[in-house]
Amino acid sequence: MALTALIVLPLLGGVAALLAPRLGRDAERWLSIGLLAVALIALVVAWTGAPPEDAPGEQWLAMVRYQYAPALGLQFLLAMDGLSAALVAVSLVLGIISVIVSWNIRKDSGLFHACLLWTVAASNGVFLSMDLLFFAFFWELMLVPSFLLISIWGHGDREAVALKFLVFNAVAGLGLLAGVFWMAATAPEITFDAFVFAEMGIPPVAQVWLLLGFALAFLTKLPAPPLHAWLPDAHTMAPTAGSILLAGLLLKTGAYGLFRFPGMLFPDGFHVLAPFGLALGAFGTIYGAVLACGQTDAKRLVAYTSVAHMSIVLMGLAGGVHFAMMGAGVEMIAHAFSASALFLLIGALYDRVGTRDLRELGGLMQTSPRFAAAFAVFFSAALAMPGTANFLGEALVITGMFQVNWVLAAIALVSLVISVVYATRLLKRIIFGVPSRACVTQDLDWAELGPIVVLATGTLLFGLLPQLLLVVLEPAVDAALAPLARP
Amino acid sequence: MSLSPFLALLLVPMPAMGAFLLLGLGPAHLERRAVQTVGMLGAVAPMAVMLPLGAYCLAGVCDGVQPIFDLTVGDAVVALALKLDPLSALVGVTVTAIGACVITYSVDYMAKAEVPDQRRYFALMNLFLASMLCMVLAGDSIVLFLGWELMGLCSFFLIAYHVTSARAIAAGRKAFLITRVADALLLAGLLLLFLEAGSVRLDALIPAGIATDEVRRGLIAALLLGGALGKSAQIPFHTWLPSAMAGPTPVSALLHSATMVAAGAFLLARFAPFLQAAPLVMAATAVFGAATALFGAVSAVFQKDIKRLLAYSSISQIGFMLLAIGLGAPEVAIAHFVVHAIFKSLLFLSAGDMTQMARGTTDISAMRGALWARPLAYLAFVAGAASLAGIPVITAGWFSKEAILAAAWLAGPFGVLLWLVAMAAAVMTAVYAFRPVFVGLTRIDRPRPTVGGLFTNVPVVALAIATFAVAPLVEPMVAFLGGVPPHPPRAVELLGAAAPFLGMVMAAALTFVPRLSMRVSRARRLRSGIRIDGIYQVTFVQPFVGLVRWLTGQKGGIADPVGTLPILGAERLTAAVVRPFAHDPLDRGWSRFSAGLVRGWAAGRRLQTGRARDYALALAFGLALILLIAWGTTWR
Repeated sequence: MALTALIVLPLLGGVAALLAPRLGRDAERWLSIGLLAVALIALVVAWTGAPPEDAPGEQWLAMVRYQYAPALGLQFLLAMDGLSAALVAVSLVLGIISVIVSWNIRKDSGLFHACLLWTVAASNGVFLSMDLLFFAFFWELMLVPSFLLISIWGHGDREAVALKFLVFNAVAGLGLLAGVFWMAATAPEITFDAFVFAEMGIPPVAQVWLLLGFALAFLTKLPAPPLHAWLPDAHTMAPTAGSILLAGLLLKTGAYGLFRFPGMLFPDGFHVLAPFGLALGAFGTIYGAVLACGQTDAKRLVAYTSVAHMSIVLMGLAGGVHFAMMGAGVEMIAHAFSASALFLLIGALYDRVGTRDLRELGGLMQTSPRFAAAFAVFFSAALAMPGTANFLGEALVITGMFQVNWVLAAIALVSLVISVVYATRLLKRIIFGVPSRACVTQDLDWAELGPIVVLATGTLLFGLLPQLLLVVLEPAVDAALAPLARP
Repeated sequence: MSLSPFLALLLVPMPAMGAFLLLGLGPAHLERRAVQTVGMLGAVAPMAVMLPLGAYCLAGVCDGVQPIFDLTVGDAVVALALKLDPLSALVGVTVTAIGACVITYSVDYMAKAEVPDQRRYFALMNLFLASMLCMVLAGDSIVLFLGWELMGLCSFFLIAYHVTSARAIAAGRKAFLITRVADALLLAGLLLLFLEAGSVRLDALIPAGIATDEVRRGLIAALLLGGALGKSAQIPFHTWLPSAMAGPTPVSALLHSATMVAAGAFLLARFAPFLQAAPLVMAATAVFGAATALFGAVSAVFQKDIKRLLAYSSISQIGFMLLAIGLGAPEVAIAHFVVHAIFKSLLFLSAGDMTQMARGTTDISAMRGALWARPLAYLAFVAGAASLAGIPVITAGWFSKEAILAAAWLAGPFGVLLWLVAMAAAVMTAVYAFRPVFVGLTRIDRPRPTVGGLFTNVPVVALAIATFAVAPLVEPMVAFLGGVPPHPPRAVELLGAAAPFLGMVMAAALTFVPRLSMRVSRARRLRSGIRIDGIYQVTFVQPFVGLVRWLTGQKGGIADPVGTLPILGAERLTAAVVRPFAHDPLDRGWSRFSAGLVRGWAAGRRLQTGRARDYALALAFGLALILLIAWGTTWR
């Protein structure tokens, strides 16, 4: 029940938010925050409740099964393990944060908040659905509110960018959909239940093709080169809240898909394709980092660092060893915090000075010390300083890579070195230097500082007390790796 | 669980960390006094905790581990802990003492800075100190790496302290980047050791490392050595240290003597039992150390800037430490670490005090007449220089350097070769150590002796006394660490004792003979550190910048070529598939059909003439036709 609420509440809440502006000033904002807070409580209820009896594995913390259209074999099947719980928690927190940081959005505010809530609802649907038709449905549903967010409230050439985002992801989503239908058609009886698919023994050759289809969708969302071109544009043109949700949720759905399904459904296919995944990850982490070094737009720079970091996640997921998989899980959460925070900060700066061009910024340390301090904290996270959750993630992935192939570990370490170049460049251009005319601005106010403090706490808490996160992820990782073990 | 005395270990880095947090996150407005007090207390309190621990250690109970918490990742247990053993006790006491001195000195030195700048400065200095203490006291590789890496971060911010100076920022980035390469090497080494041992405790890592096969052991040892070379600015990574002089002088004092740069030597000493299982890497350590010692000393002779001179001096002195470690005498190296920490911080602090008078320039010529203008600081500098040069018997520097030379002499024929190099370096050390001293002797007009404030003088005087007071303690230190102080034949020892005096004579010649001092000031190539920077520019920086510019389309190509691939593919696909159907063939058929119909109608319309006789005629024809057909159907 509580699991259903995680999806239904924001979904219906979005409709309510659409109408809420008539009730009074800021009604839709408070409504959204309230709904997301209630959903957070529902998550706690689901998390702490008794483990489900009919679950197909130990790792599942909660489960909902409801025959939706039995004639079509369609079930409303939700299941939550440690990773999905953590990701849902992140999505709800980031949802609240994106409402807070868009307090001064006035244009069509009802629809704006509806879009925020729908994005959260759809991504929660992706994180929880184990009925693959519903999974695919939520997968595609996610695109619509994000498309609207970019195309209505974005900056610059927003319509074209929104279209690019939509086309890339919708086309890639077809691979997923085709795979789902093929599996449903070959199943003994018509069903979309992932647990049934996992049991039914798909022939190895088919597994390779199916995994290719699934991976097309997941890698585009991740994004892994060469499918990443939509990301820098979308990040740059999206409003701040949109960037936060893109970095914090949408990218994570891709990583989540790669975490959940290849091992569970296509273990043979995984063994065939994993080397390519590793190579792609290794290439992406260097490529993203190098490109980040050359950007002049602060948001684009952070977007390319996302490519680099999510490629590390890809390496971790394709490694198929325990350390790497744990590292990928941790890095997903860590990156959701650190990238969102950087987008928040750059967005706040843009709102004040009207430019994101690194060549025109500077001197923030002297004009607004709190701003600069916040940049410094998340700068350390982007660098994977020990003490931040990002370090934990990357160190675990690198450890795993040493077990897989030393060359890959060396490449990940090189990416760690390049991260110094782009991170110090960001710092040098934004907070160091003589204050440029553009940067004489007021410091962060409490509405911005609050979210920053929350995100910084998350980054440092999981960095300094990693056990909190590791305990949650461990059963999920074990379960994901179990089918991959070769006899 | 009973309270273990080692619980106090946790308290050692706490005050400094607390001062960092208080200054970093505390109330928005702090008075200048409050900032200075918090900064100073944070640095002095660790010493107050560490000294009793050191005494406890001397009393005999010197092997303890204080667990922090355990992590479990799969089967591996990551047990974080702090550790007290002779090594960490001795280095811990040194680091806390030097940190307290340097940060106390900063109160006066930074007095003129704005309050927010001062706040940033003291916060970072305290974090710097706390990181080093974490590393020194670490009982596992994670805490060790945490401290190691945080030091790199702090040094970046501190070197780039003057945020409006492009030179300072560039120096900070360079330092961070090069030391980050070292960090990556160390991280790789530590992770590999972790995979071998399945634990992160140093007590488990080192035996596990020794137990692995030879290739792997050599590789891990080489990675650790690489990490130490980078952090300690040894050849070929040394280029960042002279540039790092852009930061305030107390930063350099801390960076060179007790933290960051010295950390590399500490790391190798920590892993010495493991390194000794990899003889090739040991030899490499010794060779790199000796080469750097000589190179640093020679480069230092030709410096014009007092801070750069001291930077090359640190490079050279840490080379000596590495030499000792490579020769299998890490105890001697750590004794030199302690002595070096004292005299190097003393040199920086007293030089900073003297040059502060000279309106910002740190040129050696700014020290002219320092004996008369700033007598106390000058005398302290002389004490430091004497120890650096190794004036026999009275200075601590002599004992520790002599021990290193002895270790080299006793290490067989290869060792004698290294001894020769080290002797040359020792002579050059005396040359560069005494050049500023002699410059300070030159008379200037109207000298007006001044002394600095209380916070300047107390640390400087304390350190100056320490350079002599520690002298008789060097051999006990080696013994305390579990080593045997090496003693070479008397003749060799006398040669070592003569080296500083030979150097002094040369220094006097270089200072007072105008022709020679002109030569020195013209030797630009030797001053710029044999152009390794230029090699890095050509081999790393320029190709990287070129790659970045190419990939971002600043060279006229497409920005983000790989990301553009799917888009180009989609365009090709459009051209191949969609365009032929742009004028739909089916649609073309339909429109031809409809055009035909229209034409047919137009033709049919001609039949409608509107004249009755035409219709009558058609009627008649039609009737005739029907009749004809009807008649025809009757045939049978």
